[in-house]
Amino acid sequence: MAVIDSPAIPRKPAQVNRQARTAWGLAGPALALMFLILLVPVLVAGVLSFSNYSLGNSGFDWVGVQNYERLFTRSTYEKMFIATFTYVVTAVPISVGLGLGAALLVHSLGRIGDIYKTVYFLPVMATLLAMAIAWEFMLHPTIGMVNRTLEMACGTWFEVIPFLANGCADGFPLWLGDRDYAIWVVCFIGIWQGFGFNMVLYLAGLTSVHRELYHAAEMDGAKSAWERFRLVTWPALGPTTVFVVTISCIRAFQVFDTIEAFWPQGGGPNKSAYVMMFAIFEKGIQQNLIGIGSAITMLFLLFVMFLTLIQRWLVERKVHY
Amino acid sequence: MAGLSITSVKKRFGETEVLKGVTLEIEDAEFVSLVGPSGCGKSTLLRIIAGLEDPTSGDIAIGNETVTGVRAADRNLSMVFQSYALYPHLTVAENIAVPLRMRSLSTSQRLPVIGPFLPGAQNKRADIASAVQHAAEMLEISALLDRKPGQLSGGQRQRVALGRALVREPAAFLLDEPLSNLDAKLRVQTRAEIAQLHRRLNATFIYVTHDQVEAMTMSDRIAVMMDGEILQCDAPSVIYEDPSDIRVAEFIGSPKMNILPVEVRDGALSLFGQSMGRAAEGAQSDVFQLGLRPEALRLAESNPVLTGSVTHVENLGAEVFAQVDLADQTTRVTCRAAPTERHKVRLGASVGLSFDLRDALIFDADGKRQRRFEASLSQPVEAA
Repeated sequence: MAVIDSPAIPRKPAQVNRQARTAWGLAGPALALMFLILLVPVLVAGVLSFSNYSLGNSGFDWVGVQNYERLFTRSTYEKMFIATFTYVVTAVPISVGLGLGAALLVHSLGRIGDIYKTVYFLPVMATLLAMAIAWEFMLHPTIGMVNRTLEMACGTWFEVIPFLANGCADGFPLWLGDRDYAIWVVCFIGIWQGFGFNMVLYLAGLTSVHRELYHAAEMDGAKSAWERFRLVTWPALGPTTVFVVTISCIRAFQVFDTIEAFWPQGGGPNKSAYVMMFAIFEKGIQQNLIGIGSAITMLFLLFVMFLTLIQRWLVERKVHY
Repeated sequence: MAGLSITSVKKRFGETEVLKGVTLEIEDAEFVSLVGPSGCGKSTLLRIIAGLEDPTSGDIAIGNETVTGVRAADRNLSMVFQSYALYPHLTVAENIAVPLRMRSLSTSQRLPVIGPFLPGAQNKRADIASAVQHAAEMLEISALLDRKPGQLSGGQRQRVALGRALVREPAAFLLDEPLSNLDAKLRVQTRAEIAQLHRRLNATFIYVTHDQVEAMTMSDRIAVMMDGEILQCDAPSVIYEDPSDIRVAEFIGSPKMNILPVEVRDGALSLFGQSMGRAAEGAQSDVFQLGLRPEALRLAESNPVLTGSVTHVENLGAEVFAQVDLADQTTRVTCRAAPTERHKVRLGASVGLSFDLRDALIFDADGKRQRRFEASLSQPVEAA
């Protein structure tokens, strides 16, 4: 606070104290709120993750690192990690790539681009829970639109595709009921729902690319679109990409709505879509095992913190020139 | 290195005709400036020469080879942009190397990790590095090669942009107002350096500027453009001393040329009712415009042609420019005085001005120079 004043003017200690008090007074409400609604719950969760507390119990016992030990030993949680990382590793690159591709295509169009922008952004605006229910109907094994469309290909030359040939012979996949497909369906819906958001972020990034740089690239002999992309567009989109990837990762770790809508009782066939958020919900809320729920939450927080730190590092070191 | 020829190039943007049939021949190793006020089409013409813009009609040829329709990357021209357009993620050395990398390395040889190990890549990369080093030494930026453009000052960036243009040997250099983002002192310095560079490389330069001083000091020839046309293209001294259009005369020269209305009646030339001289017999009676450079007007204590009072004085040290409101007239003229005459042009002082009619340029009412009429003026000042 005192920095604003000229340092040349000597001030009395009383004045300095008064300024400091004002400063604390003004920052106080924000600090208090941050403590109350962010830091205290995190601390409480951290403490509870070392206990066997359940809501409604009058007391609890300290169990040490038992909750964490379970996380890394039990097969349920192994499935949880597999499902979560499968989702993150699939949904993030594809939704970022599609977002970038769509943004480049939309950017190259004139007015028609606005139509595509709206079309791709619609799923972002829709409620994911409602969309999940719609997808559930579409993916129904017998009356769903997806399988009935696939059946139309039976008996045509499309059957050269092994997937369709097998489907026509032995029946098409159960999708949501098949443990080999369940997590991929969730990935697909996550990508379908999320890439429009990335596209909008990339479109914003594209408007800041200096047009004269493309002319310079052309004069320097960059003839193909790929060369111009490598030389001008991609480096200019660096800060956007870091932001988009971080946001997409955090969103991917948070996936919950679709799982809850498809399989309210337990995270997919054979727990193949048992993602972290759903595990927190199931353990902490449905089964009232606050201790283990808190432990998963702390791990979740760790991943998100880690991602944020990487983003900070990249933004400061690599992508700002 | 090659000459360029531009043949009746027209360009329209929708309804607006930006270039109205521009024709210009540029010799090999010539330095030609395109100069004109904002919006005269000079940058558009440069971009058409570069191939970044297509002409609506007309042809561009580089060294006798028509390049109309050939894309910019294939025209073998180098360009320095007003904003420098350096790649912000690349170091100075990498920026300068880009034109060579794009042209001499194949797509696979440019790949980040395996590229350098592909056959032939090693030698090419070494050649590029030495060319970059050479260009950097020429521009005295060797110490900056590892920095990124964001860490450079405006003048340094400008040098890097020049380095990127001259690292390979293009048919011609195109410069689009390269000095306009520099401060005044640096501009004067860089101006001289670019002129030296031109002499050293002995290459064709086409230089776009709105600053007539840049055009005057650097060029072999100046093409003065206005409203999408080249009004005159000549050596700087000709443009200054012998302009063929009143717009050229007014645009070139600072302070601006004084324009006074003159009348010819029965062969007699008169300025504000005073007889100035006689034209040859048969000169038609008409109203003309008399152009006088500030240095053509001199302070006269006896027999002044014009009188007036000083309303503004600009003392530049080596010379003094005084603006004089002419008595009984609405016209204001600028005259140049030597520093020794400074006491005569104090603010508010009454001064007398005279001039030699041989220093005056005469234009008709449409602004076209009347050289024959000037030659026919038989008598120098006989009046007053």
